[in-house]
Amino acid sequence: MKGFIIPVLLIILAPFIGGLVHGLERIVRARMQRRIGPPLLQPFYDFLKLAGKRKMIVHSAHAFLGIMHFVSLWFALALLLLGGDLILVIFLHLLSTSLLILAGYSTRSIFSHLGANRTAISILAYEPVLIILAVSFYLVTGSFETAAVFNYDKPLLLEMPLAFVALLLILPVKLKKSPFDVAEAHQEITGGTEIEFSGIFYEAVYTAKWLDYVFCYTLVYLFAGNNILLGAALILFTFIYVNALDNSSARVNYKQMLRFSLAVAFSLAFLNLILNIVI
Amino acid sequence: MKLAVYRKKSPWILHYNAGGCNGCDIEILACLGPKYDIERFGMINSGNPKQSDILLVTGPVTKRSRERLVEVYAQMPEPKVVVSCGACACTGGVFRGMYNCEGGIDQYIPVDVYVCGCGSRPEQIIDGVIKALDILERKTLELEVSVRLKKVPVEENGQVNRREVAAKIIHTQHTYE
Ligand code: SF4
Repeated sequence: MKGFIIPVLLIILAPFIGGLVHGLERIVRARMQRRIGPPLLQPFYDFLKLAGKRKMIVHSAHAFLGIMHFVSLWFALALLLLGGDLILVIFLHLLSTSLLILAGYSTRSIFSHLGANRTAISILAYEPVLIILAVSFYLVTGSFETAAVFNYDKPLLLEMPLAFVALLLILPVKLKKSPFDVAEAHQEITGGTEIEFSGIFYEAVYTAKWLDYVFCYTLVYLFAGNNILLGAALILFTFIYVNALDNSSARVNYKQMLRFSLAVAFSLAFLNLILNIVI
Repeated sequence: MKLAVYRKKSPWILHYNAGGCNGCDIEILACLGPKYDIERFGMINSGNPKQSDILLVTGPVTKRSRERLVEVYAQMPEPKVVVSCGACACTGGVFRGMYNCEGGIDQYIPVDVYVCGCGSRPEQIIDGVIKALDILERKTLELEVSVRLKKVPVEENGQVNRREVAAKIIHTQHTYE
């Protein structure tokens, strides 16, 4: 990702790429259940349909927080792709998630509150790991800037393999995929924080989920350094891994999720950090 | 309006059981399974009234469920259509005339498509939904401005009765034909 054109193009096209990933994901899920599944462009059809629905807002701050969630997530993604400070990117992402949590708490719906609680708990599960990952990147490349990572000439995967495993373990939490999807839990709390959004305001939250895909897969790409082929392979592997896990596992409750991610993923990331310091 | 085309391509379904025997619900779930797979047409069982387009109701209205039925209907943003699934939801079916039962759902909310059968088959349900999609495409936002309830719901035996109030909604909503 040298130069300026490719990151800017990626940033502008991020919602489209994320939508395609979401469409592909739905097809893959359907095929795994021996169904045919929706067309690839289905997320965009959903998008256009939602644009024509009547807007019902609970109160204006709620709708505004939903839109700001989308905007700040896009901003975090832009910073990540343009080679900004990784710590700043992670905190911007945290900010966008907390806007959604605020939106969840601002309504009177009990499901919304439950979803906000659970989203806050999932932040607790993945955020420490991400911060430690950023520090590991710093120890290896000598800089917090992702530009340094994109230009690093050796694959970072070989220098910090345990960190990659830790990232794989927390990705389902971040993407709200099956063993760790307590925050969304469609059969249980029907989407959690997003439940009170409708019309184009739901669209903002729905599209933010697509941006999250791009964000997460870019985090995976960081492990390839400047090796584009390896990066593509990693992204493909992660896509298959996340979807296979999503379709083959049942939801665990939030305590188990927290215990697992703090005990296993966090300690793996920490071990990796210590190894990076020692070596 | 160009956007109306896409309503057909991504109808999100809200499924509500107003008090039936679960026979029709199982048939609806069968539609989602591998054999009928209505996700091919982009349909999702969304479970959230604020984001759905089609309300699939099964079972007769009971004295307990009528309020929730109207509430769920009112929470769906327009354009929306209602499909009543099974003999119970259309007329009361085998439960008609029972002490706890009020009969078909069209006494409380406007119904666009009636699907017959006691245990309506998945093919019939899909057919009904496709018919509902045609109606959904014809609906326009202008016709669907929300109406203010003219009468205050009356409370009897500790339960809110919205019978007369709902009748007014039916009157205004059916003008598109
Ligand atoms: S129509 Fe028949 S199968 Fe369906 S809910 Fe009523 S009694 Fe059950």
